[in-house]
This record gives sequence, C-alpha cells and structure tokens, in this order.
Amino acid sequence: MIFNSIEFFIFLFIVYFLYWFVFKRSLRAQNVLILVSSYLFYGWWDWRFLSLILLSTIVDYLVAIQINGNDNQRTRKLWLWVSVIFNIGLLGFFKYYNFFVDSWVDMVSMLGYDIKSTWTLKVILPVGISFYTFQTMSYSFDVYYKKLKPTTDFISFAAFVSFFPQLVAGPIERASNLLSQILKERQFDYKQAVDGMKLILWGLFKKIVIADALAPIVDDIFANYSTYPASTLILGVTLFSFQIYGDFSGYSDIAIGTAKLFGVELMSNFKFPNFSRNVAEYWKRWHASLSNWFIHYLYIPLGGSRGSKLMSIRNIAIIFLVSGLWHGANWTFIFWGAFHALAFIPVFLMGRNAIYKDSVVAENTMFPSLTELGQVVLTFAIVTFSRIFFRSESITGAFEFINRIFTDFSFGTYYHPMGYRMLDYYVLIAFFVLYEYLIRRDERSPFKFKSRIVRFIVYTIVILCLLLFYDSGVDRSFIYFQF
Amino acid sequence: MKKLFFKIFIYSVLILLALEVYIRVFHLTKDYPVRYVDAFGVEKWMPNQEGYSVTGNRRQNFSEYRINNFGYNSYREFNPSKDKVEIALVGDSFIEGFHQNYYNSIGNKIENQLHGVEVYEYGYAGYDLADQLHLISQYKEQFELIDYVVLGIKFENDLARAEYNIVKERMQLESPLYKAIRQIKLLVYLNNIGVLDAPKDLVQKLLSNGKKKNAPLTKSEEDKQLKELETKYLENFKRLVNTYGFDKTRFLFLLDAEQTPDIFLNHLNEYDYKYIDFSKAFQASKKPPTLIYDMHWNNNGRTIIAQLIANYVKEMKSI
Repeated sequence: MIFNSIEFFIFLFIVYFLYWFVFKRSLRAQNVLILVSSYLFYGWWDWRFLSLILLSTIVDYLVAIQINGNDNQRTRKLWLWVSVIFNIGLLGFFKYYNFFVDSWVDMVSMLGYDIKSTWTLKVILPVGISFYTFQTMSYSFDVYYKKLKPTTDFISFAAFVSFFPQLVAGPIERASNLLSQILKERQFDYKQAVDGMKLILWGLFKKIVIADALAPIVDDIFANYSTYPASTLILGVTLFSFQIYGDFSGYSDIAIGTAKLFGVELMSNFKFPNFSRNVAEYWKRWHASLSNWFIHYLYIPLGGSRGSKLMSIRNIAIIFLVSGLWHGANWTFIFWGAFHALAFIPVFLMGRNAIYKDSVVAENTMFPSLTELGQVVLTFAIVTFSRIFFRSESITGAFEFINRIFTDFSFGTYYHPMGYRMLDYYVLIAFFVLYEYLIRRDERSPFKFKSRIVRFIVYTIVILCLLLFYDSGVDRSFIYFQF
Repeated sequence: MKKLFFKIFIYSVLILLALEVYIRVFHLTKDYPVRYVDAFGVEKWMPNQEGYSVTGNRRQNFSEYRINNFGYNSYREFNPSKDKVEIALVGDSFIEGFHQNYYNSIGNKIENQLHGVEVYEYGYAGYDLADQLHLISQYKEQFELIDYVVLGIKFENDLARAEYNIVKERMQLESPLYKAIRQIKLLVYLNNIGVLDAPKDLVQKLLSNGKKKNAPLTKSEEDKQLKELETKYLENFKRLVNTYGFDKTRFLFLLDAEQTPDIFLNHLNEYDYKYIDFSKAFQASKKPPTLIYDMHWNNNGRTIIAQLIANYVKEMKSI
C-alpha cells in the first residue's frame, strides 16, 4: 500500500475512525490498533516479510531487557552485539548478499582467476528493511548507553517498530522520541490534525506534481544518455535532483502528517536542503533522521571529532561510505558516499561544518546576499553532480555520463519522451523553488499564510496542480522504498 | 473533532466548487456534442453545434469542432450535384476528426490539393462498416451524386456486425443521467485524465473478488480463435455488402494493410474492391503520424492521408 493510492486513504480513514471513536478510551487498544493496522499496511505489499519485522521486534525487545538487567559491562556489550549482528545480518542477507558475492567474483577475476558465480540467490528485498532495522537497533543502543529504560510492554514496542506512517521509508525515529509517545496517552488536538492534513497535501504535491511528473524525463535521459548532448545530461541530473527531493521529502511529509492525525509527532526529515549554503548544512537538512542515526550510533562511538584531525577525517569518511552502502547494494552508492565525504571534509577542515546549524538562508531579509546565493548555487551543483552516481545503473555508466558532460559539451533542445510541452516543467520547477524559498523558515508549515482567502486560493492551486500533472501511466511507488 | 469534520466538509465543498470554476475558465476539458438518431435511423450529431475537443491534463491537444447542417463535423455543408466533383469520406473518429480544428480537416487538405473538388466528411466516432453502408443506403440519392466515396475501415474493429442496428450503448450516453453528469465539468475532467480509474478498478476488484478467472489461452487456442474470428468477419463483410450494396466503380476503402489480415486483403483483390493502403506512407514518414495520447492521426498523419486520396483522385481523373 502506498501513500498516493486510493487504498491508503480508505485505510487511513478507517483506522482514524477506529482510533479516535472506538478505541479512544484505552491506550492499550489504540496501540493494538496501531500494531494491527501497521502489519496490515505492510502485509498489503507482501505478508511473508511481516515475519522479519516481528523477528526484529522480538530480538530487540528481549535484547534491551537483557542489557538493562545486567550490570556487567561485558555481558551488556555482548547483548548489544546480538542486536547488531542480528539486524545487520538480516540487512546483509536480504540487501547485500548478492552484491558481496558478485563483487568477490569480480575481484577474483580481476586478479586473473576465472570463477563462475553460482552462489547468488534470488532474494527479494523486503520493503523498508533498512529503515526498521536501524530503528530497532537504535533502541538497543539507547538502552545500552543508558539513555532509555527498556519497555516491558511488548505491544507498544511492536507498535513503535512498525508504526505504519514511517515504517517503510522513515523518518528513522529514535525510541526516546517515538516510543515515549506511544507509551503515553494521546489526546486529539484540532491544530495538530489540521497541520497533519496540510502536510499530507503538501507531500502529495511534491510526490505527484514534482517527482512523478519529472520521472519519465529523468528515466529517458539516464537510459539514453549516450545519445543526448551534454546540455540534456545536465538537465537530466538537475531534474533528478528535484525528482528525488520531491519523492522522498514528499513521503516524509505525508508520514509526518499522517502521524499527526494520530497525535504523534515524528522528527523532521527534510528542511529545504536545496537552500543549503554548504555540504555540511545540506546533510543537516537532507534525510536528517539518517544523518542523526549515523552521528549518534556510528560517528560518536568511533570517536567523532574528539581525536586528531586525521581520526575525524577517517570517521567522516566511514560514515559517508556506510551511508552510501546503506542506500543500496551497488558501487554507485559507495562512490556517491565517497564523493560526499570528499565534499564534506574541506568544509570540516575549514571549521565551517557547524556555522549554519541554526539559521536559514536570508535569515532576516527577503532576498539572499550575493554570497549566499553563490553558496546555495554551488552547494546545489555539488549535490546534483553527486546524483549522477546515485541515479546511474552502474559505475561505468556514471563515469560515461560524466565524461560526456566534460569532454563533449554540446547544446541541444530536449523534447519530452511523450511529446509533452517541456515549458510546463520548467515553469513548474521555477514556481516550486520560489514557493519553497518563501516558506523556508518552517518545514512543518507549508501553508503559513495569515489571510484565510490566500490560504484557500493556495490550497486550490495545489490541488489543481495535482490534477494538471497527474499521470495514471507513471509508476507511482516511492524511490526510497527500494532502499 | 466535530469542528474538524465540519471544516473538512466546508473546505471540500468550496474546493470542489473552485476546481469546477478553474476547469471551466481555462477550458481544461472537452465539450460533448449531442447525438441523435435521425428520421432515416442514422445515428449522428445533432446539427449545428460548436464546441471544443480537449485532450490531456493541460490542454495538450485543443481543437474546435463544428457540426454542420447534416450532423457531421465539417467546415462546409454537403450539397452534392451532378456538375461538381465531390468526394465523400465515411468513417469513424479518424474521419470525424475532433482532434483537429474543423477548418484543418482531411477534407480541407484534399480540397487544397484538388481545386474545384468538394470533400464531405461523414465521420462519427464508433462507426463501423455496418453504420457506414447503412448511412450510404439511407441517403442513396445524395451519395449517388458523389463521385468518390472513401470508406475508412479497420478489419479488427469494423466488421463485428453483419447488419445495422442502433447501438444502444452509445445512445444511452444521451440519457438524462449522463447528460446531467456531463454538466459537471470537474467530473468529466477527472474521468478523462484517469483519476477515476483507481476507484473504478477498486470497485471492479471488490466486485470480482471470489469469481473464477478464465484460464489464459494457449498459443494454439489463441491462433484458432483468431482464425475463427477472421472468417466470421469476412462473412460479415460479404453480408453487409450484399445487404446494403457497394458500387465498386465509385467506392473504395482506406486501410492500413499492415494491420489487415491476408484473408481480407485477398478477398478485396479477388473481387476487385479498390483500396488505398496508407501503411507504407506512414512508415516512410520522418515525423510521427499519430497523436501523443492516442492513435488518432495528427496533422502530419492527416496530411499524408489527404495526399494519398488526392493522388488517387488525380490518377482516376487522368484515366
């Protein structure tokens, strides 16, 4: 079941009704409902993989109790390793097994030994496995670091792991935020519900109008890059930047909005990353829940930036490479991670990695300064360039794509693969960037207009755009489901 | 909670109204001309209507139609006489040409190439050979004055019937309910762009739940079925021609030979039916001959068809 489907909205309406009207008086009943509906939501895609979620839930539930019940540091660590090995093992098997086998075969054949790969398996990648395994692991980590007391309420814990709004593509919540809300009684709040609906509308806009509308163009350019001039390749990767942003941040907005309808506040995942002034700021604004996860559970345990510069650089490189690998079992993602590490390290060495921590571009003014504008454009260009690796099917394909841009620059008019007017898309992107700039101070309030009439006109324009760019022929699934 | 539901209701109504206004103001969806069955039992458009045909979410194809006195989309009235040369184009939506401005139709393009010739376009969406021959037989006097009658035919679509009768499903679209629904432009728009497909599919899925699905046919079963169908269609053709008549000296078919089975082409050749095959001309064209959204001929496709018909007439005149 995907957020942009009729089935989801029927499902949402039924669950919402049961949640606030039938089970309102009992927290336990509400949590059972969340659990059952989340399993139904996930099982709609493939019920067989529910067993993996259940297994992951049971393991971390028990591990956390064991960690908490032991004073011996060695035993605690041992139990933590049980969680890590189990979850990484799950991820490793379903997501990386074939990748590692193929890479091993390739490496051996590069050394001159010709072996045939007979060990690869037909493994289906369970949707959202990278997200929920990280979420359950974070729980065990938090209990291990004594930031959290483990819960003995299995139902609530299982509801925390499988909470359907964010189950398949995040935000990757920490137990301290989400589980604590699930354990507490939730009250209906009119403003929260309205804010939730606004976020759902804005998320649908980003998904349907931006991501889905651009998808056929991006697919065409990346599939036929060898036949297009360099200007078209640049257009393709730039539009891909908007596509993936619309797709993933749209999903996050719908997830956060849906959670609000149930009285739950999820963390922000996207904070207008396209207006970042350097790569470090970009990583605070793009997929923030994953960045947070890596900082808390990988970067800091590795020593963070407490040691020497060299040590810090090593740690930065590790988290970016792991982040790349997290995205997919392909060398393209590892190169993408490495590219971001190379872009981030100079910012870190110049001590500029935290200077934009609490501010936005043009913080107190209407327009950005020329310096800020230059910074934003440069950061966007760097990030967009890195997406050639992210989007390409293979690493050789990515380098050929880059090679065509730099060694064979030529200009040509691009025509939509289905013959539609390209002008529509350019105007759309221009207005989208402009609108996001206007609302850049608060990612959770996309329709913050004082005048009720203006607000209403904006709603109707957004819905009209949904219709104008709706395409029933486009694959409507979310890109990040594959991760 | 009450406040929330009340506001959702109010906002929903206002938003739907606003969308209806936007769609009307920007003319985002097509107009539906009124259809009727005339005194001769011929189904056609109610004479003297004008409107716009729109395709795509964002008016990617926008054209004007004009239904003439006789009930067909054309820039001219049909007044055949003995002292003029006339060509009649009879066919379905391809000839009807709602996908083009009525003043830029195939007929108009032919007239630009054959000065002094008048082209009458008897096109109506869904017309098969039974409709076409029935129309010609009912308006025999008029058609006898026309020098060339070109009948657009697609074997797999146009020979399913062996005799003419009014297509009730089409005429049901003129029922008060359908007429009322068509007044809601938002609904028409949503339906045309495919937004209503998802709920329709869902209902279909729910309704068909539990019903046994037919097992897929094997290749040999499929071939056998196809052969039977082709034989049946050929028989239908023979019966239609016998029932309504076919003047081989003036009538000819317009078809795509690549899409037509040999059994039918052989029959046409054997019994001296004339036809214009546009398949090669379409294949040779550097630009696509069809629209983006459907397989109807675009301006290039219509130009090619007009050229082929004009060439045929020129050739016949020189003989």
